[in-house]
Amino acid sequence: MEGTPSTTAIDTRALTKHYGSVRALSELTLEVRSGEIFGFLGPNGAGKSTTIRTLLGFLHPTSGSARVLGRDVVADSVEIRRLTGYLPGGIALYDSLTGEQVLDYLVEMQGREPHRRAELCERLELPASVLKRKVRDYSRGMRQKIGVVQALQHDPELAILDEPTEGLDPLMQQAFYRILDDLRREGRTVFFSSHVLSEVERLCDRVAIIRSGRLMAVHDVSELLARRRRRVTLRWRGAAPDLTSLPGLVDVQVDGNRIIGTLSGEVAGFVRAIASPNLEDLTIEPASLEEAFLEYYATDEVPA
Amino acid sequence: MSTRLLLQTLRWQRVRLAIVVLAGIGWGLLIPVIYGAFSDVMRDLADSGAFPRELMSFGSGSLFTLPGAITLGLQHPLAIAMLGIFAVGASATAVAGERARGTLEVLLARPISRLALYFSILVALLLTVLVVLVAILGGMVGGSAIQGLTDELDLGQLPLVVLNGFGVWAAFTTFGLAASITFDRPGPAIGLSLGYLMINYFLEILGSLWADAAWTQDYSLLHHFDAGAILSGDAVPLDLVIVFVAAIVPVIYALIVFPRRDLAAPA
Repeated sequence: MEGTPSTTAIDTRALTKHYGSVRALSELTLEVRSGEIFGFLGPNGAGKSTTIRTLLGFLHPTSGSARVLGRDVVADSVEIRRLTGYLPGGIALYDSLTGEQVLDYLVEMQGREPHRRAELCERLELPASVLKRKVRDYSRGMRQKIGVVQALQHDPELAILDEPTEGLDPLMQQAFYRILDDLRREGRTVFFSSHVLSEVERLCDRVAIIRSGRLMAVHDVSELLARRRRRVTLRWRGAAPDLTSLPGLVDVQVDGNRIIGTLSGEVAGFVRAIASPNLEDLTIEPASLEEAFLEYYATDEVPA
Repeated sequence: MSTRLLLQTLRWQRVRLAIVVLAGIGWGLLIPVIYGAFSDVMRDLADSGAFPRELMSFGSGSLFTLPGAITLGLQHPLAIAMLGIFAVGASATAVAGERARGTLEVLLARPISRLALYFSILVALLLTVLVVLVAILGGMVGGSAIQGLTDELDLGQLPLVVLNGFGVWAAFTTFGLAASITFDRPGPAIGLSLGYLMINYFLEILGSLWADAAWTQDYSLLHHFDAGAILSGDAVPLDLVIVFVAAIVPVIYALIVFPRRDLAAPA
């Protein structure tokens, strides 16, 4: 692995980017540790791409600072790009070239050997016959696969991926997830933005949630999942008991012998509290990150 | 500068360049033929006073002499179009086109500085312009040799002709590339670059057709490349200074602006 070993792959301090009166990014302070897969979540226009583009030197910060792999994003952006692999959202490629020519051209410009290309092409089902075709003949998914390969073929220390599974079919998404799992095992750092909460849940060690250019939260994914509310449904033999005073259970609705509510506390205590021979059925819906995520967006209030 | 990017830029232009070079040679070969066939007729017509002499000229060129015909051939819309394809079309779309297509950010994700990118593209475009210019001039000299007219030209001045012509078209190229790094879309960059060329062309032609407006020619870059005058041994050194200053100013602008530009996500 090239570059100076560092425990922090990305470090932003009060990073701010304004376009005139538009505040695309406001005082973003974020730390991505080396060797982790870090998810960057947020709705369209939240500032995800602005952050990524600032990290890569495409945009100049209005104020604040950022370091990538220990290097300053303004002063050392060329060196940063030498060590990183970048997949832009909705990647555009050179239509007049073949897939192979695109990969050759981009890796030559990178100035590094395409150590991972063969393996990536195999895993993403990009045989030589496909690579010999012009990019203009590629489907959206095939372009995205080429995009993934060009970002990772030179075995970068840090991969910055903007909506990486966009356009990939479910099988290829799984193949992509396995590639990222392997990168994690090898100690590479991956920073990726996504709308797809299930993939963040599946892949990421930690996740940052950004909204209107402001960082809302940074969490371990496991912690976020543990914190989220669960939807519970209970069915009783006979009349349902009064559970409104049960700690952790809110939004209780009674419908005959059925009770529906939202559990915000821990599950074990709740199950102990409701244990009864008259309890006929209990459903606790599998938690999704989406619910946890939506909690952050349920309010219009943006933290100052 | 990135040699790989320079070569790739040339590669993308190669088919177009080959076609234009062939057309340029053909056009160059034709000029001495036209001069041989029509110069006496034109001269008689002018001497008779039946036709105003101004209307028998085109820009700084005319068919009365071979050097004048060469100037005319280089200021003719066909030659302007052939050189303009690269000096205006290719340069104005070079960066703005990649930006609009979204390929610029894939390229700039590599370890290449914006200045290296700029100079790689600039050198590639200047080479294409030089090749087209040399093709046209080569055709003219070749045509003159075929017609047995080379004694009417001071061929020792040919390098100066190439240098002066290159300076003029380099000025249009650097202007086009400066426009290209300024806009996110090729439309405005092409419009501005084409407008710059058209204004220069208009000032040159207007001054040649209307004696009272002759002063406008001094403000046209095209007027500062009179191949005929150079080949007649009447080169004006100031012309070289003017065209190279005009070529360098957009480069300085690009060096200041391009590294500082924010490249937001393509729409």
